[in-house]
Amino acid sequence: MSVAAPVLPGSVRVAAAGVSHRFGARLALQPLSFDVSSPGVVAVTGENGSGKSTLLRILTGLLRPTAGQTVLEHDKTALPPRARRFVTGLATPELSFYEEFSAAENLLFAAETRGLPDPRGAVHKALDAVQLSPRADDRVGGFSSGMKQRLRLAFAVLHGPALLMLDEPGSHLDDAGRAVVERLVKSWSGEGLVIIATNDPQEMRLADRNIQLRGRGLGGPA
Amino acid sequence: MPTGTSNSAAAVWAVLRKECRSEWRTRYGLNAALLFAVTSLTAVSMAAGRLADRTDVLSGLFWIVLLFATLTSMSHAFVREVEGRTMLLLRLVASPTEIATGKLLFNLLFLGVVEVVLVPLFMILTGAPAPRWGQFIELLALGTVSLAASSTLVGAVIAQTRGRGALFAGISLPLLLPVLAAAVNGTREMWGGHPVASALRLLGAYAVALLAASLLLYDHLWED
Repeated sequence: MSVAAPVLPGSVRVAAAGVSHRFGARLALQPLSFDVSSPGVVAVTGENGSGKSTLLRILTGLLRPTAGQTVLEHDKTALPPRARRFVTGLATPELSFYEEFSAAENLLFAAETRGLPDPRGAVHKALDAVQLSPRADDRVGGFSSGMKQRLRLAFAVLHGPALLMLDEPGSHLDDAGRAVVERLVKSWSGEGLVIIATNDPQEMRLADRNIQLRGRGLGGPA
Repeated sequence: MPTGTSNSAAAVWAVLRKECRSEWRTRYGLNAALLFAVTSLTAVSMAAGRLADRTDVLSGLFWIVLLFATLTSMSHAFVREVEGRTMLLLRLVASPTEIATGKLLFNLLFLGVVEVVLVPLFMILTGAPAPRWGQFIELLALGTVSLAASSTLVGAVIAQTRGRGALFAGISLPLLLPVLAAAVNGTREMWGGHPVASALRLLGAYAVALLAASLLLYDHLWED
């Protein structure tokens, strides 16, 4: 088994200044400021509903914050939100795959769309990194929750992003799967930056820094 | 960091291939389109007999069958991504313009495949006179581009909204009426032996306008 690692050279810096987000009347993310750089592992913690997933979506450029600003610098160059996906790998429970395609076909589509130089090689490496190679040609529709979670991790590391963002990476995983997460995080943290949104003590221990969200959680609309 | 035209072309090509493979595996749209075309033409043929001398009716019937056979499937290209929760995957690997362009090309291909079956079937079941092929193909090509562009654009706009059904009808109607009017008029004139240049110009201008508007709008579609 090979352990994937960042292939995009250059340092990464992620910063937020007074960033917050509302979904209608509901405050999903309370105003937040931080500044973190690679290498290392940052844990984003907070109650359910405090805005962990929302923060990752904002940093990836998928969601525009209601207030405040975020900065993602790669190799000291600030990237606009629509360019952030090139240097970012995101694994989140919201990520689903084409059930009529196999695991390898889903990843090959992602690799080809991203314009990777060796798509099949990247797919092989990513599936190997999450120990999903034996089921590479099985259709995703028949996968268990744990296998789908491994595929999300493979999708996130497929292009060797300098910034790896994992939203509850251990969910649905057995002990072997959790060991895969730990190996990935450790191999990434040497050069790249890993941001883990979690409340799992085992995953929090992997981090060397912590961003604590102080949202209202499930306490009702703000 | 991958950027530039060649990578955009690769992304569009990958989306197009993905759409083709998905359609091949699920037969989501093609079966429904062919079923509608065959049943509606058979029903009309049984009810009205052969309509060789009614080229005005045939012109309308041809475009109605083509429109209704393909519209639902084409406009659902994005809805399927939302309902299958695969939109996030797409947005993480490609820009909105790349995604929409890949889907537009697939819709063009889809319409082309349906037309290959529909045109001879239409001729046989309705007894339509042989068209002037050059003009007919020009009308068909420009009508196809306009239909594909409008349905892709409407599909992209309504995909992430709640009242998709109502919005679909509300947005589609003003976009599709000019296409249908020009295409039906042109087809009727073609069968009547009259010039079709004005219908072709209108369809061409509309197709260009729709494509230009689509390319301008696509990148702002899913900004939350």
